[in-house]
Amino acid sequence: MNLLCIGISHHTAPLELRERLWFSDDEIRAALPKLKEAGFHECVLFSTCNRTELYVFTTEADFRVDFLKKFLIEQKSARSHINEENLFSYFASGAAEHLFRVASGIDSMIVGDVQILSQVKSGFNLALATGTAGFFMNKLFQSALHIGKRSRRETHISEGAVSVSYAAVELAQRIFDDLGSKKALVIGAGDTAQLTAKHLLGKGIGKLFITNRTHERAELLAKMSGGTVIPFEHFTERLAEIDIIIASVNADKYILEKTDIERMNKGRHGSALFLIDIGVPRNIDPEAKDLDNVFLYDLDSLNGLVHENVEKREAEIPRIREIIGEELAILFQWHSALQASPTIAALTQLLEQIRKEEVEKNIHRFAPQDQELIELVTRRIVNKILHTPIVNLKNGHDESHNDRLTKISIIRKLFGLDARKERSHAG
Amino acid sequence: MEHIIIIDILNIALPLLYFLLVWVYGKAFFADFPWARELKSKILFGIILIHFVYLLDRTFVFNHPPATTIFEILTLLAFSVAVSYAFIERLSRAKETGYFILNIAFFFQIASSLFIKDLLEVPDVLRNPLFGLHVTSALLGYAAITISAVYGFLYLMLYHEIRASKFGVIYKKLPNLETLERMSFIAITMAFGLLSLAILFGFIWLPKAFDDFSYLDPKLVGTLLIWAMYGTGIIAKKRGGWTGRKVMLLSVFGFVFTIFSMTVVNMLFSKFHNFH
Repeated sequence: MNLLCIGISHHTAPLELRERLWFSDDEIRAALPKLKEAGFHECVLFSTCNRTELYVFTTEADFRVDFLKKFLIEQKSARSHINEENLFSYFASGAAEHLFRVASGIDSMIVGDVQILSQVKSGFNLALATGTAGFFMNKLFQSALHIGKRSRRETHISEGAVSVSYAAVELAQRIFDDLGSKKALVIGAGDTAQLTAKHLLGKGIGKLFITNRTHERAELLAKMSGGTVIPFEHFTERLAEIDIIIASVNADKYILEKTDIERMNKGRHGSALFLIDIGVPRNIDPEAKDLDNVFLYDLDSLNGLVHENVEKREAEIPRIREIIGEELAILFQWHSALQASPTIAALTQLLEQIRKEEVEKNIHRFAPQDQELIELVTRRIVNKILHTPIVNLKNGHDESHNDRLTKISIIRKLFGLDARKERSHAG
Repeated sequence: MEHIIIIDILNIALPLLYFLLVWVYGKAFFADFPWARELKSKILFGIILIHFVYLLDRTFVFNHPPATTIFEILTLLAFSVAVSYAFIERLSRAKETGYFILNIAFFFQIASSLFIKDLLEVPDVLRNPLFGLHVTSALLGYAAITISAVYGFLYLMLYHEIRASKFGVIYKKLPNLETLERMSFIAITMAFGLLSLAILFGFIWLPKAFDDFSYLDPKLVGTLLIWAMYGTGIIAKKRGGWTGRKVMLLSVFGFVFTIFSMTVVNMLFSKFHNFH
């Protein structure tokens, strides 16, 4: 399998180097045809915030690794920052296995990252649209996407929040049935508050209010997230209608005292009130936790949840490795069957078997002196039928690699050679 | 004769089937086996059908509804719990609580199967179809109260786990607090409707059936109190917007009061309205 993978990732380089090799979709569209012109049969390139990876398939014995590394660096004019040593490379089964690890999420910075699968898919689609992904890459990436889906379906690799902001939203979902009917208030406009607001919106929160000491920052966050700004001086007046509060401001004393929460709670008839305090020092009086139907969490309790989830995800890695092993075996079986010689052998065997069965069934109808002749004639017929396909299969050197693989694949499908092979294995 | 053999076989099979059902629901809840998640509702439906055949067979073979002895009542209760749960599961589409509810059905059925007798001779009054309707609606109502209390209990468990930042299997697998509350409310609404029917059938049938009938019988008064209590709760929730932990606590206390009325009052104070 002449497959090569070259790339840069969080395992091999820090962010300031990775960002130098980040390719936009347009840059990928421009780069891929150049590789094809340089003689590589098939190529796929994708870029995420944590990795840029190039997969090439060639029929030549020389992979031209240095050329490809140089190509990536020069495409981004990053020579002054990155050298070839910052890039990793995997060959043949190692490259396929690496792609499978990436698609499954176990190679991600956050184990079980759900976004990577769609990023791999869009990278492949881009190559398809550019005409640089063909028969082999199609099978390879379909297998990778299949592994990604299996990993998420058959294991818990992507379950449980692994960031404080997402943990807060996950907790809200354990309390409320329909976030669409709830109102949330974000106090502060820092990074974690922004992320939590984003996740809440992603989960369809009914209404999002934002308040901040610096009004302009609140306006900015509201513009980014589609929320409504409440002036900081007046936010306590609106507390009665709020179900979820995320507090994240720098303040010397609590911005919400227990008495504020008590007042909020009074008109709610027992409806749950969910409070997330991610401020340091804390923004909400921790004693409010004792009030009925009040769920108050600070950074420590959220970090505890995140840590537990990370450990659970990591415990799934051995099972994912098993899945990758199974799919690698299938890929190799498929690939080795695509050579001309095994296909010729399988086809010859199939026709010979059919000939033998038919002769055995009908030989008694012929006189004993004719039986040898029947053997001879039927064998000749089969050989003549096979002659042209075998010659065509053997002499495919003037065709492109893609055409050759397609031809072999069609023959295997038409004559059911793979199904037959599976049956004989099962038997 | 053949029918009695079928009844005997089903009498042994039912506790085993309920055990299987609880085991499958347990595997789905605690171990998250995909096959268990896939099969559990189908098995529940199958067992409800088998149990229905068993009850129908008993009714025809012994010529009376299977509600004349405490052990016949128990198998009817097991059936009622399973049916009510299946109904709530379908309505709420939350399938994670079956393990907790169906354990009750399993224990009712095992107690019934161990001690149930094949009674051919029962008082004529117990062969009346109105008696069957009265008992069936009452038992389905009590089963729904039981289920509501289980949801109340699960709500309180999850409430404390979340507040104590314990993120174990209860946190991960149970439906969220609002769903549990909704399921409990569906069960209470069902219970109220069924108890209303039971009371209606009772008021039509009881005065004709028993010479010593009295409207002041403690069992009747107790049942009316339970009915009024749940009715008030439904109005308070619908009109007053009551919700949260206190409502769920009331659901559990309501169940305790119901059990008290069903057992202590029934056994010690009720005169005509007693199980055999």
